[in-house]
Amino acid sequence: MHLKYESFIREPLVDGEKSYSDVTADICRPIEQKPTKLWYFGFFVALAFLGFGAFSVFWEVYWGLGTWGINHTMGWGWDITNFVWWVGIGHAGTLISAILLLFRQHWRTGVNRAAEAMTIFAVMCAGQFPIFHMGRVWDAMYVLPLPNTRGPLWPNFNSALLWDVFAISTYFTVSLLFWYSGLIPDFATIRDRAKTKLRKRLYGLASFGWTGTAKNWQRFESLSLVLAGLSTPLVLSVHTIVSFDFATSVIPGWHATIFPPYFVAGAIFSGFAMVNTLLILVRKLYRLEEYITMGHIEAMNKVIVLTGSIVGIAYLTELFMAWYSQVIYEQEAFKWRVMGPYWWSYWAMMTCNVVSPQFFWFKKLRRNIVFSFILSIVVNIGMWFERFVIIATTLYRDYIPSNWTYYSPTWPELGFYLGTFGLFFTCFFLFSKYFPVIAIAEIKFVLKTTGDKAHKDNLALEEKSLEEFIEIANHAH
Amino acid sequence: MSQKKYWKGLEELANTPEYQQSVANEFNEELPVEMPGDNLLNAQTPRRDFLKFLGFSTLAATVAASCEMPVRKAIPYAIKPENITPGVPNYYASTFVDNGECVPAVVKTVEGRPIMIEGNTLSKITEGGTSARMIAATLSLYDKTRLRQPHVDGKPVDTFEEIDSQVSAALAAANGAIYLLTGTLISPTTDNVIAQFLAKYPGAKHVTFDPVSYSGMLLANEMSYGKRMLPNYQFDKARTVLSIGADFLGTWISPVEYSKGYTKSRKVSSKDIATVSNMNKHYQIEGMLSMTGANADERATCRPSEYGKVAAALYEQVASGTQPNTGSKNLDKLIVKAAADLKKGNGLVVCGSNDVNTQIIVNAINAAIGANGTTIDFSTPAKNKKGIDADMVALVNAMNAGQVGALIMHGVNPAYEYFDSAKFVEGLKKVKTTISFADRLDETAKLVKYVVSDHHWLESWGDTEAKDGYISFIQPTIAPLFKTRAFQDSLLKWAGATETYHDQFNAYWVGKLGQATFDKALQDGIIEPATPSIVGASFAGNVQDAIAKAKAVKSAAEYEVIVFETASLGTGGAWSNNPWLQELPDPISKVAWDNYVMMSPKTAKEKFDAEITTVNQVDPKKRVLKVTVGNKSVELPVIVVPGMHHNVVAIAIGYGRDKSVGMAAADLGKNAYPLLSFNGQTFSNYADAKIEKTATFYPVAVTQTHNSAENRPIFYEYSKDEFVKNPYELIDERKAALAHYVNDPAHDPKDHHGDPFGKGKDFDARGFEKAFEKFGTHYPVHEKPGLHWAMSIDLNSCTGCGACVIACHAENNVSVVGKERVIKVQEMSWLKIDRYFAGDPNDPDTIQTVFQPMLCMHCDNAPCENVCPVSATNHSSEGINQMAYNRCIGTKYCANNCPYKVRRFNWLDWNDADCFEDNLYSDGRRDDINDDLTRMVLNPDVTVRSRGVMEKCSFCVQRLQDGKLKAKKEGTPLKDHHVTTACQSACGGGCITFGNLNDPESAIYQDRYVNNKERLFYMLEQIHVLPNVSYLSKIRNTEVLMTGSDKDEIYNQHL
Repeated sequence: MHLKYESFIREPLVDGEKSYSDVTADICRPIEQKPTKLWYFGFFVALAFLGFGAFSVFWEVYWGLGTWGINHTMGWGWDITNFVWWVGIGHAGTLISAILLLFRQHWRTGVNRAAEAMTIFAVMCAGQFPIFHMGRVWDAMYVLPLPNTRGPLWPNFNSALLWDVFAISTYFTVSLLFWYSGLIPDFATIRDRAKTKLRKRLYGLASFGWTGTAKNWQRFESLSLVLAGLSTPLVLSVHTIVSFDFATSVIPGWHATIFPPYFVAGAIFSGFAMVNTLLILVRKLYRLEEYITMGHIEAMNKVIVLTGSIVGIAYLTELFMAWYSQVIYEQEAFKWRVMGPYWWSYWAMMTCNVVSPQFFWFKKLRRNIVFSFILSIVVNIGMWFERFVIIATTLYRDYIPSNWTYYSPTWPELGFYLGTFGLFFTCFFLFSKYFPVIAIAEIKFVLKTTGDKAHKDNLALEEKSLEEFIEIANHAH
Repeated sequence: MSQKKYWKGLEELANTPEYQQSVANEFNEELPVEMPGDNLLNAQTPRRDFLKFLGFSTLAATVAASCEMPVRKAIPYAIKPENITPGVPNYYASTFVDNGECVPAVVKTVEGRPIMIEGNTLSKITEGGTSARMIAATLSLYDKTRLRQPHVDGKPVDTFEEIDSQVSAALAAANGAIYLLTGTLISPTTDNVIAQFLAKYPGAKHVTFDPVSYSGMLLANEMSYGKRMLPNYQFDKARTVLSIGADFLGTWISPVEYSKGYTKSRKVSSKDIATVSNMNKHYQIEGMLSMTGANADERATCRPSEYGKVAAALYEQVASGTQPNTGSKNLDKLIVKAAADLKKGNGLVVCGSNDVNTQIIVNAINAAIGANGTTIDFSTPAKNKKGIDADMVALVNAMNAGQVGALIMHGVNPAYEYFDSAKFVEGLKKVKTTISFADRLDETAKLVKYVVSDHHWLESWGDTEAKDGYISFIQPTIAPLFKTRAFQDSLLKWAGATETYHDQFNAYWVGKLGQATFDKALQDGIIEPATPSIVGASFAGNVQDAIAKAKAVKSAAEYEVIVFETASLGTGGAWSNNPWLQELPDPISKVAWDNYVMMSPKTAKEKFDAEITTVNQVDPKKRVLKVTVGNKSVELPVIVVPGMHHNVVAIAIGYGRDKSVGMAAADLGKNAYPLLSFNGQTFSNYADAKIEKTATFYPVAVTQTHNSAENRPIFYEYSKDEFVKNPYELIDERKAALAHYVNDPAHDPKDHHGDPFGKGKDFDARGFEKAFEKFGTHYPVHEKPGLHWAMSIDLNSCTGCGACVIACHAENNVSVVGKERVIKVQEMSWLKIDRYFAGDPNDPDTIQTVFQPMLCMHCDNAPCENVCPVSATNHSSEGINQMAYNRCIGTKYCANNCPYKVRRFNWLDWNDADCFEDNLYSDGRRDDINDDLTRMVLNPDVTVRSRGVMEKCSFCVQRLQDGKLKAKKEGTPLKDHHVTTACQSACGGGCITFGNLNDPESAIYQDRYVNNKERLFYMLEQIHVLPNVSYLSKIRNTEVLMTGSDKDEIYNQHL
């Protein structure tokens, strides 16, 4: 029996016997090489989508919202569905960077950069919908509390939609700062490795003159902590406020106190699924399997099964509350949601969000790359349907039966949605080409303690006798 | 520097004392400002008012100056016309005439443009009632398809003289074989003109043709009472009304008049329970579900071919107590019950059949139950319909035989409206001289040689005498827009007269009344006898013969098709091209922009694989059926309507128009007139039909896809007996529902002994509401002093006619969106009438219908207001939920959060009113509203909304402002007579009450809290949005209510 330097169930966070320079070289490789053909292909497809989206939005703004399928019973359709969906996706990044940082979850270092980038791009996509769902988007600045010539005319601070404006813009700003501050030491690394003048200058500018002194690092650490502290409440508040768009209304199916926790859980659920989708692709395309390990994927899958079960309970609670309330409007809203003309969307949501994540109780499936990838997509489809169910299948049959109607999207709505995919992936492709997709500096923090090499060194250490072990351990640092 | 003096005119040079005085006077001319008299200046705080006005006008000027406005053509009055003050409307009494129907009207004109038509409340016949068509007439006036000058051979000519000389020559050459073919004319002076014309051309004949014919009645009355006329029905006197297929509330003879009378006893006061007990009882027997049938207390169906048999059964039951045996148990039961009620006195039986024998039997029934002299007056017969079908058929035969030299047509369009239009067109080719006074190149006018277009009635002088002694004048409200000429003038010209029609008109009436009385009459619009008389008549018809003939009528066909007139389009005419009317959903089917085959759910499902909209079916595409009558057939989509007889289908007329009628009318639906026929005596209004399924589908714009109210407490309906027994049921229900929210939680609940709001008739309805307002929320409640606008809608007197909807369109510049957009549920109407069915769709006799007008509820705790991020919708201190269009950015959050879903969004640029160029929505039909001519219909007091903003009912805020100003000028507190909303003044049934809720003397206060508190309810009261629109429950004069019963299969199946 030998002493154990570390728990044998903890698997390494970085595989392969990596030295610090290996890490730098591996992660900087995509930035310093010419992009692959696949990258070009993907980028131009994304640009094409973005272009189509821009055209769809132009069409809508020029001709009017009548080009969409929404109507006077259902004032929101795919627009707000997509908005909430993208905002939800934008939750994982901050959760991973902030909350997991505060909880000292070291596995976050492998995925936080990409997840944060995804957050920012997702929030950018989300923001398009509330802007362009306005009938008069050219007057959109009315929602801002700007000094104006119209006398003391302020926006309406009672409106949940206005809270959204503040919540989303705050979230976006803080996430962007957090992400960017993390990038500074890595930009400096790229600057130092740069072989062309232009590159040196640009990355030099981007790294704000980082020199890597102890003072630099100390301030960097403090800033990370402060931003983590700032953004932690945001993770909870953003989707809480988004849920207020519905929860503060009087419409049965919307007016529910369960919405804030239910929305936050759903957001984390979909955010992690989206992170999974992207990381599985990134690690494959950039051959970063050693940094984004199966352990990372599994950790994410665990969060998915937990949050998936939370939303499942929320769905059932909604049904229970509808029955328990004894309010016919409430009961029938849910009856029509489950069994009305939109029954398929409810059951798609139930299957994708509640049933499918349960497979992740099995370790084998949790660690299966293909299964994880497929399921991450299934979950995102399910979460899209959740938002569609909340919006469309609430509005289509509410209080007064004479108003009941139906809704199908038109091509500009579809185009707008595809366009945000275009925006997202355009940004993501540029990010993966020009930015280090894994936090070089941060991964180095964990390399020594939880990397595969450290692990193996420890194994050798553990073979030693007790005395030798104490001797080495005492003189190790 | 030179000190040259330039003088501005000779006056200055001369410098006379007059000139000096005029220089001293700042305003040379009198200012066109209506001074409010002494009241305003002597009011208590004129200084403050002055400052307010100053502040407001400075602000308004600033706002106006800071907006970028597109430059529009505007021509100021260089010299102000007398009587016209810009911004101040003028009202003229006139009369709406359409195919013999006539309604005294008051026309509102602004800057010389008629923009709104209301009923003339001075008339004792209609008492201010209106119809959808009547109000929509302004839009027809500005129809750009109207002919702008006379035409010869389809080509415009510049002068009337050119035509006059040709026509006079042609008429002289016609050798007396001249026919003047008109619709029913009810003008005494026009009759004189025609007499002069006929005198000039001996042998010329005048033939009257009514597209929807009442010949059967005219002939039956001739046989029964010796006089070819329609009696004067007094629906207000009737305690029991039985209608066999007559849509007397919608289209039959004089529906505005009859609705007014009918609804009188339906406007009950639950405080005086006797008014409920004395409510009239309405039985309806019909083949299709008509609007009138939908209002019936008891209803049974039969085939239209059985109307005679049913009338006979009723006669036998009334006269001799013979048990009816019609083959339908429901019908037999209804006949026995109705007969008993009719015999109690003040009964009235009317029938929509055009069969002489059936009408004779109906006359016999009315005679037997003593209706003549109580509910039917023979001293002042109605002249609304005069056409004798055989005359028309004879004319067409004569034309085909080449015996007609000249045909002059006014107000008729036989190439469209005549059942055998092909034969008419064939005959027309053989007539040498054809003349039409049509206002457009419609189906007939296209084919004639001379089109000498007549004025629109809003441009004309004229008179009407709908009943003997009941005169209503037509005054022009605008100078003729185009080169048109009164058709009377044309006739006079061709008759060689030198006088104009207006000269004759004046001479006739001044001679009859004297100048002073005539002037007063023109101002009032009407002359009516001081005391209406009711005189009976004795029936002298051969009823047994009629019964024998009626019973002999048998139909072998499986299906019969009823060809009916809708309340919106009527017989067609220019109405087909009126986008307001086209977009007005039919009261029963809730379909706009098309005609269709109405069919019972059972038949549709079992035989034609078509269904009433089911739980999961939301597709606007409806199966197309082929309806064949003889050798003519039409293919139309099927609309499934509960309450249709299983073997009866119905198709509306007024559709299937030619392109030349106008953009809105062209190629919509199919023409159903050809399905009819002439039986040797009269035109039929139904036919035996063969119906086949086709494989095609056609999208139909249905505005309400769900038929059941789902047993939700959104309206309340009681049977009369139930209500009389316990009028307080609704009060108890409201109290129970809100029990937890009307008591002060600060009090110890044990302190409450008994009922703080009183029981039964002592119920303090106002106090109860106030308590709910206060204790139903955690938030502080604001006091609402001053004016507080509120509306009450009586479901018991609403007939669902849709006049209010059109009035709202006209008053508030509500956009028409066209069929495609109605299908997309993007229509703009601020006011709509919901229609709910209850009963068993497989048994049409059980179907009961409820109409419920829906508009913005102006909630005092409005959910729309607090969700708007920019406060574009907010609450006025007078209780109005108001829209600031300029502030709206169109998030639609307010619409989503509206529990009533009454907010309307400008999805597209309907009115060319946004800042993008060339993005006007056009669908080829509704675009006329953006034409310079059509835009004249817009109400200048109401903003035309741009794309991307939300809009909704404003309680006609412009009228309220006007009313407040009126009261202020009078120096009196505002009272009910100062303000009416457009819907309120349009409602013939008077079911809308509006006013200041803080005034205990106001009608709204009295209606809600004193006279009808037992019937008062608010839609969705329990969610504490505090609506300012309340409803009064419906009381159905029957024993069995379907709503809420187990037999309500429409609810059970969620249809």
